[in-house]
Amino acid sequence: MAVAAAHVGGIADHIHPEPQGFIRKYIFSLDHKIIGIQYLVTGFVFFVLAGLLAEIIRVQLMHANGGFVSADTYNEVYSIHGSAMVWLVVIPLLTGGFGNLVMPIMIGARDVAFPWLNMLSFWIFPISGLMLFSSFLMGAPVAGWTEYPPMSLQAQGFGTSMWALAIFLVGVSSTLTGMNFLVTMLKMRAPGMTFTRMPLFVWGQLATAPLLMVATTALAAALAALFMERVFGVPFYDPTKGGSPILWQHMFWFYSHPAVYIMILPGFGIISEVLSTFSRKPPFGYRMIAFSSMAIALFGFMVWAHHMFVAGIAPFLQLPFMVLTYAIAVPTGVKIFSWIATLWGGSLRLTTAMLFAIGFLILFTLGGISGVFLAAIPFDMHTNGTYFVVAHFHYVLVGGSLMSIFAGMYYWFPKMAGRLLNEALGKLHFWLFTLGFNGTFLPMHWLGFMGMPRRVATYDPQFQFWNQFESISSFVMTLGILIFFANVLWSIKYGKKSGPNPWGGRTLEWMIASPPPYYNFKHIPKVFARPYDYSQPLPYKGLEEELTTAKPEPVPAGAH
Amino acid sequence: MAVASLAQAGAEFAPHGEVDQLYAETRDLRLLGFLMFLVSDVVLFSSFIFAYLYLRNSGQGWPPPGIGRPDVALAALNSAVLFGSGATMHYALENWKHGKFTRYAAFMIATIILGILFLSGQAVEYTKLYFQEHVSWAGSGIFGASFFTLTGMHGFHVFVGVWYLIVLLLQSVHGVYSKDKYFGLTAGTLYWHFVDVIWVVLFSIFYLI
Amino acid sequence: MIESRRPDVHLGRGFWMATAIYAILSIAAIAYWSVTPLSQWLPAASNTATEIDRFTRFLLAAGSALFIFVAGYVIYFAFAFRRRPTDPPDAIGVQVHGSHRLEFAWTFGAAAFVVLLSVISVAIWYGVEFQSTPGLVVEAIGHQWYYTFRYPGINGEVTQEMHVPVDTPLTVNVTSADVIHSFWVPGLRIKADMVPGLINTMHFVATRVGRYPIICTEFCGTLHGQMNKQVFVVDSKADFQKWYRDWQIKNAHVSNALPAAPGGGASGIDLSKGVATAGKALFAQKCSACHAIAPFEHRIVGPGLLGVLHDPKHPNLVNGKPATPADVAQILLNGYDGSMGHMPNATQNGLSAQDIANLVAYLETLK
Repeated sequence: MAVAAAHVGGIADHIHPEPQGFIRKYIFSLDHKIIGIQYLVTGFVFFVLAGLLAEIIRVQLMHANGGFVSADTYNEVYSIHGSAMVWLVVIPLLTGGFGNLVMPIMIGARDVAFPWLNMLSFWIFPISGLMLFSSFLMGAPVAGWTEYPPMSLQAQGFGTSMWALAIFLVGVSSTLTGMNFLVTMLKMRAPGMTFTRMPLFVWGQLATAPLLMVATTALAAALAALFMERVFGVPFYDPTKGGSPILWQHMFWFYSHPAVYIMILPGFGIISEVLSTFSRKPPFGYRMIAFSSMAIALFGFMVWAHHMFVAGIAPFLQLPFMVLTYAIAVPTGVKIFSWIATLWGGSLRLTTAMLFAIGFLILFTLGGISGVFLAAIPFDMHTNGTYFVVAHFHYVLVGGSLMSIFAGMYYWFPKMAGRLLNEALGKLHFWLFTLGFNGTFLPMHWLGFMGMPRRVATYDPQFQFWNQFESISSFVMTLGILIFFANVLWSIKYGKKSGPNPWGGRTLEWMIASPPPYYNFKHIPKVFARPYDYSQPLPYKGLEEELTTAKPEPVPAGAH
Repeated sequence: MAVASLAQAGAEFAPHGEVDQLYAETRDLRLLGFLMFLVSDVVLFSSFIFAYLYLRNSGQGWPPPGIGRPDVALAALNSAVLFGSGATMHYALENWKHGKFTRYAAFMIATIILGILFLSGQAVEYTKLYFQEHVSWAGSGIFGASFFTLTGMHGFHVFVGVWYLIVLLLQSVHGVYSKDKYFGLTAGTLYWHFVDVIWVVLFSIFYLI
Repeated sequence: MIESRRPDVHLGRGFWMATAIYAILSIAAIAYWSVTPLSQWLPAASNTATEIDRFTRFLLAAGSALFIFVAGYVIYFAFAFRRRPTDPPDAIGVQVHGSHRLEFAWTFGAAAFVVLLSVISVAIWYGVEFQSTPGLVVEAIGHQWYYTFRYPGINGEVTQEMHVPVDTPLTVNVTSADVIHSFWVPGLRIKADMVPGLINTMHFVATRVGRYPIICTEFCGTLHGQMNKQVFVVDSKADFQKWYRDWQIKNAHVSNALPAAPGGGASGIDLSKGVATAGKALFAQKCSACHAIAPFEHRIVGPGLLGVLHDPKHPNLVNGKPATPADVAQILLNGYDGSMGHMPNATQNGLSAQDIANLVAYLETLK
């Protein structure tokens, strides 16, 4: 029996005909869920490649005067490792991946505001990734993911220019995604879903979308100028022609500091959802968690020069950046405390997703603390450019962002695939990964303080023991990650069937089938409360037919 | 003959009823999306403007030795042309909304012509700078770099804008838009005003201060 | 919005026991960092280092305490509140949505700590940044992939080791000859990036005799990882004098300026006939692309020239003594090629003898 549309009206009421054929369904799909999966798959492919580069780094660093690779190759390896992890892994997985997959369903929409633009945003991504890795064939960039001139002007070959082009392109993808998501969340929420009834994952995306839109364009300008200078000799950064290397640092960090918040805010959203669902209680302090995300996004634009404390900016400029950076610790701390309070009094299900969320709380806090250390100019004077910085950002990006990505995968894999990831393998993944991760990155705090600079293929022999310890630990971490991939590949076919709501979640994505139909909802529900009170019935009206087998009648074209 | 087809299009151009909810919602989405695109374009220009102001302030004196102050008179005239085209664009849209097709078309054409005139003026300015003052994009230090990059970016936006307006005009002749459904024309107008605003800033920072 | 009924919440015995344990551990950590000098691991050989270490220990104390509580509560709650097999399968937690008092308390607490941290950091930062005594002015220049140094009174450049006298106020100006490097002496906790086109300045007093590695911490090319072989040596005052003498003698015949330009150059420079206004116009035309009328640190390509002939702090480049008009004329005539960069000579700049006199007259007016 066909389900008739309740009434003819706006966008929410129109269901377009089902896409036909393999290409329309899975390759050039306009469906946000398929696009989300495409982002996840592509992002994880680049994760494997960038992780391989990381292991090349760790093998080289096992010996103080290691010869596994030449110094030039080593410099290329870590530069692409960093660039790929930031722009081809973490940002796409958290925004294009989970954002696309889940956010529209969570707000009760059928798709994002501009599905065609969404598809374009995705396809730019693997192309730019290929461009980035192709730079290995033409003299890859060597000056890190930050590519400071004059070093980045000096580098021979087209590789650094290719790097600039590739990142510019993936930046276009990011910017378009940000615009798309922002319009979607502002304009396409289901009836009754006020801002204060949105799930916290949506708040995370809402805080991130303006950053994607505004900050990325600033990077585009910096990259364009670098490209013009390298290729056409137009002087912006070369001091011998009147340019300024410090100008690059300002322009680059004005984007790249908000970028790190792009890389964590959606993760914060995932943590809120996972902690709540597996504690069977509301996130503690919903309003403050939501508000603090917006505050972090805003403050994130005001602190960029804390990457430049020793570069030679005027003292009176250094001071406000230091104090504002400290200030970000307040909304961040509020979140951590709120999440801990979410655990308190819960009825905790320690599933793998939950373990990653719990691990996040501890490891991200450690990374945040080392961030406060670095925010202090007197401390940064000693540790800038050393392994202390490397330790800090790996704790927040791996112990933080990556853990939240794993949590999201274990949580939402059943929604995508209709099957659960294996829990035993998941727990093995968690423990190997956590142990290996800490062994790799904890000693780096010490090494940095004691005098080991970053971006070095060889180092003082006094640091060799801890470097070997770190390298061996990294192999343990990698083993955990490989187990994760094996789990995913196995579970797609043989995982236990999950049904629509294996975790008893209360946000809208769990109210429809796993995997969801292309139209998401037969009828867009009405929302009359926040989803998080587990003692109350679900706060939605109109979902009765969602899990039945009746198919909805497509409304003819012209609606789009 | 062109006038006849324009008149024909005008005759077919009849006011429709209230727009349906679907169109209204879609238009709202597209409007917000387009505004965000403009915001992001503003950030792009702002970044280069920051770079220019930063470099100009780095102590080398301005204008740099060997380069006279850019000629305000020609640029002021050109600016008047561009601002004038902003006014004509505004009236074009207003006339459309009131169903006055021929007047709309006249103002659209005027806008396009003024846009082309502005681009010609820029071409003259570039020629003067390159051949008379020997200022080039890559060989004249940061003045050449920032001037040609920023005005070049702006000129490119005007160039794209002129094409966009031509396409809009042709579309409107072919009846793509109606009195109530004319989002493309709104977008075109917004874009054209954006191009004007950017020029206000560029003109001030290169010619006035 | 759902009204949450006031749930029956109370903090159990386990919670207070855990809290007590964490408090004890935190106090122990704070006590440990209060008494443990970092210099037992890494020498702290400057006044800056002592300040920075004290501050670092404060951060370590506070950070340890915070981490103990956060990790402690997370682990404790993960255990204490896990669903037991005997619990019903649909067991839920306490449906508490928040607590205004608690949230206010921790927000206020975090903010108060940030204020405290800011006050302490600003005080320390101020002490480090604004040490007023210029003292002995030394220059360090970064190259790919080594450092060179310049001292007042020593011609040319000092290579290999950088020596300074103990307990003497020091001003170290750093810059680069090619790409960005960094000048870091971990044992003294001092660091400044060496940026071509800029001069960055560090003020400090070395307080312990010893030898301390200088390490580059800003990627500068293939051998960046090898740019850690040179040493910053803090000598006793007597030893320093000896080292200084040795270099003066060694570099006695090293010139800081190029030999006379080919074609003879305009030797008939009469400085008494210089016209300052003409020099000013000429400066704007020919010099301002590379030199600012600004303090020495304000470097475009060459250093700022404000006070070049008057300020005894202004480093000299010709013969180790404060610059005289004749010295400036010589550089204008012969050009300069040294650690501060390359300056074309009079022929390359198109300067006549009168031009040079005019420029010198103009520079004399810049106080």
